[in-house]
Amino acid sequence: MKLDKDARKLTKGLFQLSLTNGRLDDKKVSAVVKKVIADKPRSFVGILKEYQRLVRLEVAKHHAVIESATPLDKKGTEQLLAKLQAKYGRDLTTEFKVSPSLLGGLRIKIGSDVFDSSVRERLARLETQLTQA
Amino acid sequence: MSSILQELESQISGLKTTTTKSNVGIVREIGDGVARIEGLSDVMLNELIEFPGGLYGLALNLEEGEVGCILLGDEKGVVEGVEVKTTGRLLSVPVGKGLLGRVVDTLGNPVDGKGPINASATYPVEKVAPGIIKRKSVSQPVQTGIMAIDAMIPVGRGQRELIIGDRATGKTTIAIDTIINQARINKANEGKPGFRPLYSIYVGVGQKNSNIARSLAVLEAAGALPYTIIVSAPASDTATNQYLAPFSGAAMGEWFMDNGMDALIVYDDLSKHAVAYRQVSLLLKRPSGREAYPGDVFYLHSRLLERSARVDEKNGNGSVTALPIIETQAGDVSAYIPTNVISITDGQIYLETDLFYQGIRPAVSVGLSVSRVGSAAQIKAVKQVAGKIKGDLAQFRELAAFAQFGSDLDAKTKSILDRGARIVELFKQVQYNPLATEIMVTTLWSMQNGYMDDVAVDKIKDFQLKLQDYFATRKDAVLAKIRDKGAISDDITADLKAALAEFKTSYR
Ligand SMILES: Nc1ncnc2c1ncn2[C@@H]1O[C@H](COP(=O)(O)OP(=O)(O)OP(=O)(O)O)[C@@H](O)[C@H]1O
Ligand SMILES: [Mg+2]
Repeated sequence: MKLDKDARKLTKGLFQLSLTNGRLDDKKVSAVVKKVIADKPRSFVGILKEYQRLVRLEVAKHHAVIESATPLDKKGTEQLLAKLQAKYGRDLTTEFKVSPSLLGGLRIKIGSDVFDSSVRERLARLETQLTQA
Repeated sequence: MSSILQELESQISGLKTTTTKSNVGIVREIGDGVARIEGLSDVMLNELIEFPGGLYGLALNLEEGEVGCILLGDEKGVVEGVEVKTTGRLLSVPVGKGLLGRVVDTLGNPVDGKGPINASATYPVEKVAPGIIKRKSVSQPVQTGIMAIDAMIPVGRGQRELIIGDRATGKTTIAIDTIINQARINKANEGKPGFRPLYSIYVGVGQKNSNIARSLAVLEAAGALPYTIIVSAPASDTATNQYLAPFSGAAMGEWFMDNGMDALIVYDDLSKHAVAYRQVSLLLKRPSGREAYPGDVFYLHSRLLERSARVDEKNGNGSVTALPIIETQAGDVSAYIPTNVISITDGQIYLETDLFYQGIRPAVSVGLSVSRVGSAAQIKAVKQVAGKIKGDLAQFRELAAFAQFGSDLDAKTKSILDRGARIVELFKQVQYNPLATEIMVTTLWSMQNGYMDDVAVDKIKDFQLKLQDYFATRKDAVLAKIRDKGAISDDITADLKAALAEFKTSYR
């Protein structure tokens, strides 16, 4: 079930081929997938799964999930978007979510980085500070 | 009360404006004490990962977009899909003198029911060993109190001396005896200027609970517990805890070294430790190599044992001595783990099953045991009486095999055999009864100077015990002189001659 070293290396190579200027290129991705399906190299299903995982992680790196306790107003949304795109590039995709459990503030997740200014997070930190002191 | 309110207020205001940045991942698979996590792009090797519900894990496998993590607690309640985050911290354990007299688990939690640990600090479990420049050559002895070892295979502070042998050959006993001897020396010299106590740490890995309990009881009965820390990861513990326990012990030892003190760590044993590591690696789906051990098991043990050292004066002059234990199968030292550890250590005390069953206990093999520092780790008095013993005994073992076949031996062969047979008897030593160095010196001096030549071999033990008793009760002044001078001077030689003459007339 686990990919062997060679298949893993091949997958990584395929992933590198799918980039243009360091960014995923949709056309190249579909070309790679077509080619793999046509050629059917050894353990190609595993290779495709691993390839899909790498692509998914790469997409997530340029996708921001923005959570707030209450819906953001238009001005706030625009300001935030401008700031994020300045830092992460124009092609950053975004997704807005309303999560009342944050109690207040914002939580932004881009790839595996999380920026949290929510009240929930602050309370959690206070709790650990008080119990571990 | 008001100060608590103030503190709370300042903590709350400290939280007000800050945004925390963290690095998160999603649990993709969890079970058998490990988790595979997707994400965590910023994670460091060995970093603590925080799971919901207060569970922590240790990041061990860093792969493309995926992290293999071993769990440091019960995984109940953690399911696939939950979010976990990096902490920026490494796994740490409490360290300090407050641990002496205590039994703790791998994470430094007390398991002896004696209340919380009063720690001086916490130390990371994985740490880079002191560089070669900071190290000092080994010159101060660790007195094991076991005559065969102190005379023939001396151990120095900062050294790594392996205790190796088949199962039930007395490996643990040698380590426990050494710990008991340190406690005795520490107690006898408490507060004397220039005296450097040696604190002991016993790390039990994969042992039966009953074995640990037995060692604990022995140490307690001998009054050695106040100078000893016991780190216990028994066979019933998780593979993760068994894998980490020696590193926790090393961290506790390093605190003594960093603070200019001396510590001795027993790793009992690294064979079981390697097995635990193999299991952890298997769960992390790492590729395995020789004897199904992961390829980096050599590195595992070398980075553990590298942490034993003696640092120079500029760095406080402290030391960590390691006594790792390895269990062999049918005496095979060429198996993977034994060869590895032999190549990392400074010498080995090799115990033989045959000797053990012949009643030669401790069953130290003269031919196969070595100390790479040699007499540099002996005080002068021991050097004076023990210099030739290892050679004499090795020669005896060689000749003894042939002597069974021939009846007419030349005088020289006969004298080697007579001497050897007596040394073998002298070196037999009951467990949990380490000897003071000055007692060893007088005993070996008497033998070397012919005072035992006319004592029948089967009476040697009796002669030795009575002689030791005679010195302890009647000639304390001579013992004290040897202790203080650390060498046998001409006047001590005269004292010894007079004492032996007196003893021989009364001995029967
Ligand atoms: N010097 C000694 N004199 C008499 N008995 C001894 C001596 N050393 C060890 N023994 C006895 O031999 C047995 C085995 O000793 P010990 O547990 O130290 O061996 P071990 O090699 O650590 O065993 P294991 O493989 O189970 O860890 C014990 O019952 C112990 O009491
Ligand atoms: Mg043992």
